[in-house]
Amino acid sequence: MATRMKLKLKTVFVLYFMVSLLGLVYALMQLGQRCDCTEHDLPKDRTISRLRGELHRLQEQMRKSEATKQPQKHAVKPSPPTIFVITPTYSRLVQKAELTRMSQTFLHVPQLHWIVVEDSPHKTPLVSDLLVKSGLAYTHLHMPTAKDRKLQEGDPSWLKPRGVEQRNEGLRWLREDRRAQPGGESQQGVVYFADDDNTYSLQIFEEMRSTQRVSVWPVGLVGGMKYERPVVEGGKVVRFHTGWRPSRPFPMDMAGFAVSLKVVLANPEACFDGEAPMGFLESSFLQGLVTMDELEPKADNCSKGLGSDPAVEV
Amino acid sequence: MSSTRFGRVMPSQITNPGDAEEKRYSSHRVDRVTLDSAHHCLAPKRDSSTPRHPQGYALTQRTALHWQYQVLEWAPRIQRRSSDDGVEGKREAGGQAQDSKEYCASDKDIVEVVRTEYVYTRPPPWSDVLPTIHIITPTYSRPVQKAELTRLANTFLHVPNLHWILVEDSQRRTPLVTRLLRETGLNYTHLNVETPRNYKLRGDTRDPRIPRGTMQRNLALRWLRETFNANSSQAGIVYFADDDNTYSLELFEEMRSTRKVSVWPVAFVGGLRYESPKVNAAGKVYGWKTVFDPHRPFAIDMAGFAINLRLILFKPQAYFKLRGVKGGYQESSLLRELVTLNDLEPKAANCTKILVWHTRTEKPVLVNEGKKGFTDPNVEI
Repeated sequence: MATRMKLKLKTVFVLYFMVSLLGLVYALMQLGQRCDCTEHDLPKDRTISRLRGELHRLQEQMRKSEATKQPQKHAVKPSPPTIFVITPTYSRLVQKAELTRMSQTFLHVPQLHWIVVEDSPHKTPLVSDLLVKSGLAYTHLHMPTAKDRKLQEGDPSWLKPRGVEQRNEGLRWLREDRRAQPGGESQQGVVYFADDDNTYSLQIFEEMRSTQRVSVWPVGLVGGMKYERPVVEGGKVVRFHTGWRPSRPFPMDMAGFAVSLKVVLANPEACFDGEAPMGFLESSFLQGLVTMDELEPKADNCSKGLGSDPAVEV
Repeated sequence: MSSTRFGRVMPSQITNPGDAEEKRYSSHRVDRVTLDSAHHCLAPKRDSSTPRHPQGYALTQRTALHWQYQVLEWAPRIQRRSSDDGVEGKREAGGQAQDSKEYCASDKDIVEVVRTEYVYTRPPPWSDVLPTIHIITPTYSRPVQKAELTRLANTFLHVPNLHWILVEDSQRRTPLVTRLLRETGLNYTHLNVETPRNYKLRGDTRDPRIPRGTMQRNLALRWLRETFNANSSQAGIVYFADDDNTYSLELFEEMRSTRKVSVWPVAFVGGLRYESPKVNAAGKVYGWKTVFDPHRPFAIDMAGFAINLRLILFKPQAYFKLRGVKGGYQESSLLRELVTLNDLEPKAANCTKILVWHTRTEKPVLVNEGKKGFTDPNVEI
């Protein structure tokens, strides 16, 4: 009995030793092998994919809500008048930055159609990609400026009128596009010329939506406390308060007025005159369209521009 | 994530979202709600069954009541955390102002109802799962201030889970900024601290030796540390966004996944088309692709990095250095107390895309590009 017990004990020890040795050898063999870390990664991955899904969903919702705000041609119920924003742009260092922040502002405005006209012989990928990614309703056009009309490096910015051909191209497209629409002439809309280096508060887009012919408002000037504004008496514009050549027919900035689509379509010859003397660009367009007392003052009878916060900063 | 994560913001000053508060906001609400501009903390009281898009974001996973509780806890608290006047008396050598911890009493009598009906028709999107991005913006009064802040607000309104900490360099919070913040409907905190005249820029406004906005940024960091508990599970990212830059929306999504400090290229800084961190094949930052002093510990612009809130709370002594900071070293003065180069996370496709532009209201100066061009001309800016 004792020897058998001793034998049994010995076998147990031997077995124990062998098993441990085998285990050690196995562990050593596993050293340096790729470990299967799915247990650790799974919760993290799950969180990441959940977050991504959440983000994606939010973005979809945002895009959907923006999209539903802009029913274009198939609107059954009357939608608010579309604002057509014509923006001339040209290639320079800050172009992408300026267009990016413009698009971020426009995304807040319902029923807005952005007409971007590049000063270029062909559409550039920078602008094309930006417009596609922006999520806005847009039209991408291009129209190069004639060489002799182009500003050269080192020219002061006021030397030659800028954006003339591009704005005219925008108008041309708009007229052509609207004529092709069913019931085209009676469509409601507002046309606004927004340069890509200005700041726009969202207020003016709502103010301008009710334009019947041509509406005007104050414009703030960067770099000083100056602003330009129409002077309103009895609900009508009587003159303009501006520091520079107030004797012009319409002494205001491009960003200070909007024209109703009806008027634009009814006057197919009205466009910007590149030969006009400096500062008369706006007048060259507006002269055939409206008289001063027909102007509609916005922004609280153009009083909002006083001193502190004009709706547009140039 | 806990639904009441923001409810634990300030345990010592729990406001019961009870009658008093609701009454105050409901009187405010009467004018706003019908005009479809409902601030998001007021909207959900109405029918949650038809998810109008302003509510759609937040009502996905929680019941309306729950969300309402959470937001009423959080949003009004955040808004009322605006400190009272900054420099009432110097308490520290650095001259930093103490912000008062009491609720701003002036908000109790809101009589003016802001005509926001047609402007911001959509409150900023909010999700329960995304980390909050805390944006710290110092600002000061000048002609273009309103334009810049308006543009920024228009950008920020597209970003989900954003909290804007605007710090004015002024003795009192100005009505212009106060009004602007209220009108946008963003989640914001409005602080102010005036830079003592010694530190303010004198003469040449482009003198880089005196860092502008430092005290304001430090105040915001202090506010964050006082408001958020280091142990809480609230995820947050801190980003310093100056009011004269341009930010793409993609940037905010890139920074949301920051674990410690993430970095990316910035256009129009350092006299170049863009400055960028140098990233090796393993995806680690090993240097800085700049011409202006590339041997700085962190040769990066203020707009080129974001910090996880946890790190800010974990290292409560880390602030921007006020005095004796050489031009271009301000960012390093904070970052070196938080991370090492090895810990930096490169974003924007391994620092090859430009998502932020250091625009100012002037043309960028590219003196450092040199004849051959320093930066990769194929990178679009």
